[in-house]
Amino acid sequence: MIRSIIKTIDLLNKSVGHAFAWCIVILTLGVSYEVFVRYALRDPTSWAFDLSYILYGALFLMAGAYTLSRGGHVRADIFYRRWPARTQAALEFVLYILFFFPGVLALVIAGWGYGHESFVIREVSVNSPVGVPIWPLKMLIPAAGVLLTLQGIAECLRCVLCLREGAWPARLHDVEELESQLIQSHSSGAQS
Amino acid sequence: MSNPQLALLMLGLFIFIIMLGFPIAFTLMAMAVAFGFYAYFTPDQAFFDNRVFYLFTQNTFSVMNSDILVAIPLFLFMGYMIERSNILDKLFLSLQVAFRRVPGAMAIAALVTCALFATATGIVGAVVTLMGLLAFPAMLKANYDQKISAGVICAGGTLGILIPPSIMLIVYGATAGVSVVKLYAAALIPGFLLAGLYMAYVITIAITRPKLMPKLPREQADMGFIEVLLLLLKAFLPLAVLIMSVLGAILFGLATPSEAAAIGALGSVVLAIAYRAMSWGKLREAVYLTARTSAMVCYLFVGSWTFSSIFSYLGGEGMIKDFVLGLDLNMVTFLMLSQLIIFLLGWPLEWSEIIIIFVPIFLPLLPHFGVDPIFFGILIALNLQTSFLTPPMAMSAYYLKGVAPPHVLLASIFKGCLPFVSMVFVAMALIYVFPQLVSWLPEVLYSR
Repeated sequence: MIRSIIKTIDLLNKSVGHAFAWCIVILTLGVSYEVFVRYALRDPTSWAFDLSYILYGALFLMAGAYTLSRGGHVRADIFYRRWPARTQAALEFVLYILFFFPGVLALVIAGWGYGHESFVIREVSVNSPVGVPIWPLKMLIPAAGVLLTLQGIAECLRCVLCLREGAWPARLHDVEELESQLIQSHSSGAQS
Repeated sequence: MSNPQLALLMLGLFIFIIMLGFPIAFTLMAMAVAFGFYAYFTPDQAFFDNRVFYLFTQNTFSVMNSDILVAIPLFLFMGYMIERSNILDKLFLSLQVAFRRVPGAMAIAALVTCALFATATGIVGAVVTLMGLLAFPAMLKANYDQKISAGVICAGGTLGILIPPSIMLIVYGATAGVSVVKLYAAALIPGFLLAGLYMAYVITIAITRPKLMPKLPREQADMGFIEVLLLLLKAFLPLAVLIMSVLGAILFGLATPSEAAAIGALGSVVLAIAYRAMSWGKLREAVYLTARTSAMVCYLFVGSWTFSSIFSYLGGEGMIKDFVLGLDLNMVTFLMLSQLIIFLLGWPLEWSEIIIIFVPIFLPLLPHFGVDPIFFGILIALNLQTSFLTPPMAMSAYYLKGVAPPHVLLASIFKGCLPFVSMVFVAMALIYVFPQLVSWLPEVLYSR
């Protein structure tokens, strides 16, 4: 039961994170196109600037929960990594309640007010006469908050499992940094 | 409890919580909201009408539409693509042949490879592990001293966060509100200075103690001039051109850092295709990793912008200012004290947290001591090199240990890094004595 909840949330955030990650490709192409038409054709676009921060903002904001599900948010773990798994889990459970949910719930509730206000007036960007709509970007703030809250619940459930079983449950398979791939394949190669 | 005391409690509690190992971005967010709620509390007000909520979302949105931070995912994407373009082995081989007559040829080749590749990718871990698998065993096989070989790879790989176009300087620019373009111009000479010091150190050792870095056997060293040139043309030139055009476009004002980063990212994809390293799987890896690392850095900003505004609203900033001014420091002692603190913070923390969270505490003090924030930023960028090389954090040393042969001890990697750490201090002293090293290029380029 607990495992399937964790898995569902992990999968949800993985898919959302992966989907928004592709923004980087559009961002690269869009900005490159702008530079090209500005220099080669002397005809700059009126939308590229707005497009660039919208894609960047959506990219990092919506990848937040995905990054959390990969344990990718930076932490100062010089003491943490030396503790036994149960100690880690107990501490982390308490810290999630005290130092995680207040922040992300504020993101959901205050972000909803902020995004809704923008939606009501169908807010557009003032940077260019084209009027690129920016209310969808503001609406992403509460959405990211909801995803983070869900992932926080999954992480708490992980702590519960770890407290019960004495070892951290495995995470879903996903792409890893090159250094972790190399170090892992090196150490498994050395053992065999 | 008075407000400034509360600010101090906030800072103390924050440091305590992150030392327990909790993700830093969320700690910042939660504490900013909680302390901000207290600070802005007005009786007879609905709970969610408290000003802190508006401040928090407003700050979140400011991070999202920052035209400076847009460059971060683009440079990351460029780095992840270059990492996957199978260029490193060719680069190392070609440089090794090119430097074959220089004393300590392999170490110099490894150093230049690390520096160039790290500059292009900006990601320290990948450079050190890739070189640890490629160059480190080769150097050991050629009977190079273990410690020097380790030090060269760790120190060379770490240069990537200093030499422009580096992500660290973008983060500093966004934090300190100074121009990234000027920071790049300012960091260029110090970056080369440090690389040059590393090289001078290696050559000196190679000449004075040739046993530590024996000459290569004959047959390996024998190659015609044209062949060497061709090798360099294939492996060295494309990457060097890519970096120089990205940097040149920024420095000469042809493109903003984010535009140049986009062109660089596109160029890195072209490079990967040209080296026949492009595949669907690699593109996917690069895309997903870009998203994760961007989220990691940018969520720190989301937390810290609100955290630091609450901190200064409560009077914490003023209190630290009064305290430091009360110490009766002059510019030199202030610089030494602040850099010492940053050096010590580099032991448990990584550069992103130090710059985004702790540097803002020093920034308001700079005008009092007449320190230019750009100069201060370059000192920090140099200083943070050490955080990768000194225990207990020493990320670079751990990465190398992770891929090194089992008989290489972590302690000897640390020992190998030490001379390079002292070179960092030499470089910091040099730019303090000759501040023109930092200020000359920006002045030439932008004083009109």
